[in-house]
Amino acid sequence: MSNETNPTPQVSASFDRRGLFRIGGLTIATAAVLAACGDPASSAGELGRVGNGAPNPELPEGKVNDGVLLRTSASFETSIADAYQRMIDDGLLAAASATFPDLGDQTELVTGFVDQHRKAAETYNQLALEAGAAEPFTCGNPRLDSAFIDPIFERVLNGAPATDTAKEIAPSEDPTRDMVNLVVTLELLSAATAQALVPQVSQASYRAEAMRLGTRSARQGALMSLHINPDGYVTETDLLNANPAASTTVASTTTVQDIAQPETGDTTAPPAPPPTEIPVPVALPSQYGSLAAITYIGGAGDENGVRLKLNFETPSLNSLTYDFTTCE
Amino acid sequence: MNVSKGTPRVEIESTQSGVEAEQRLPRRGLLAAGIGGAAVSLLPFFSGRASATTPPATDESTTTTAPPRRPTDDDVALLAAALQIELTVEGLYRQAISAVAGWTEAQAALMTTLRQAHLAYSNSLSGLLGKSAPSTRSEELFAEWESSFSGSTDDVLAKAADLESSLVATHLDVLAKLQGTNGAALVASIQVAEARHVTALRHLAGVTDEAELLVDEEAASLLGAG
Repeated sequence: MSNETNPTPQVSASFDRRGLFRIGGLTIATAAVLAACGDPASSAGELGRVGNGAPNPELPEGKVNDGVLLRTSASFETSIADAYQRMIDDGLLAAASATFPDLGDQTELVTGFVDQHRKAAETYNQLALEAGAAEPFTCGNPRLDSAFIDPIFERVLNGAPATDTAKEIAPSEDPTRDMVNLVVTLELLSAATAQALVPQVSQASYRAEAMRLGTRSARQGALMSLHINPDGYVTETDLLNANPAASTTVASTTTVQDIAQPETGDTTAPPAPPPTEIPVPVALPSQYGSLAAITYIGGAGDENGVRLKLNFETPSLNSLTYDFTTCE
Repeated sequence: MNVSKGTPRVEIESTQSGVEAEQRLPRRGLLAAGIGGAAVSLLPFFSGRASATTPPATDESTTTTAPPRRPTDDDVALLAAALQIELTVEGLYRQAISAVAGWTEAQAALMTTLRQAHLAYSNSLSGLLGKSAPSTRSEELFAEWESSFSGSTDDVLAKAADLESSLVATHLDVLAKLQGTNGAALVASIQVAEARHVTALRHLAGVTDEAELLVDEEAASLLGAG
């Protein structure tokens, strides 16, 4: 048997190899026509879609430049001033503190801080406009307010309601203590924000102006620390490193210390605050200006005695007031 | 004889009329048409890719020029001056601590802590400058302030606070001129701490006036003084 003995002469030419080529070519050509003439989006380089679904929302692109950084610093200063104003309006700085019985009314001092932070915000906004920002940012920082300052006020003043897994938390047993500690925290944050700005902005003049404002905040924090803790000048670590006992100081007899006896020095000095898990501030919290997170602990403890603990940080990508961020 | 499988080519071709054969595209033509169609259909895709990798020409927000990180030649001179001043201040503290009598425990603790801090600042600046770092203090500046760091302990605390305020003003001057961000960041971290030194020293010396404690009037810069 050979191929010649069983031919299939009646096979139609309508579906042969050439026909396949023809159909393939026509299909591709038709696809090209449809792609070019169909949805206008196809001409923009987007892949076609079946049906007419809603397009994906386009998020605005956040660009970080001098204007954005300076606007953000302005927003931090405004948030701090607003927080202080709220303390003053609610009389939280005038009430007596059980933890710091000799503290006294801090309203006047903090009122001066409010003015300084409002001026700082204006200065930062002016610099932002010089740096090319379209408009100043005249309200508080949304992230700082919503994630840090508002929760602290809520926890200190109102506590926290019970949930399925946790019991109710009472309001703070000493709101004045929590508010003056918040003042110290926010002054540290203001100084650190200015310091953090220095290597980020492009102009030396912006750096110098930011640090002029930052040094003022640093001093305000030191002064408030000394109001809270009048003998707290340096940290234990810095004191240990300095080792004053080993220096060649010509010591007076008052430096002779008998730890079994009461203080023989200045007996009029107020007693140190009682030790708690809430850190007592000191005037010189570190040898250099620190950009580390600033820990705030306050409010009443929960059923396990755990208080509200937050780490304040200098502005970052999630707290910047970008060009598209508005005061709404 | 044709021995290929399937339909004998000769016989199939023989069924086509001459007119039909002329109207049909040849196989090479079909292939070319198919490839051409595919290329046309992919054009929008390729053009889209190309446009996505090209940055917009009118983007004005990315025109900020990044400052240098390392100190420039001018920066080195400024940072060297700051280093000499810090060395001088450390020497003044050292002398006062040893020469002045009657330090209380708190005063001794603060003075030695601040002396240690200024030594650390000198070391940090020296590390940044490397071989360009001066290793000696400014004798001229030391002589200018030496007599102030004597007398009672409260006198020394007051003068030390004035000197710290001058340091803050000095670093502000330096920051306004520095171009490199490494040096600027270091000076800023020193300046923040020295600003607090003033408040702490005056508070320890018994000053209660808030304007003095918060330094409403900064002292004169030491840049160029030594």
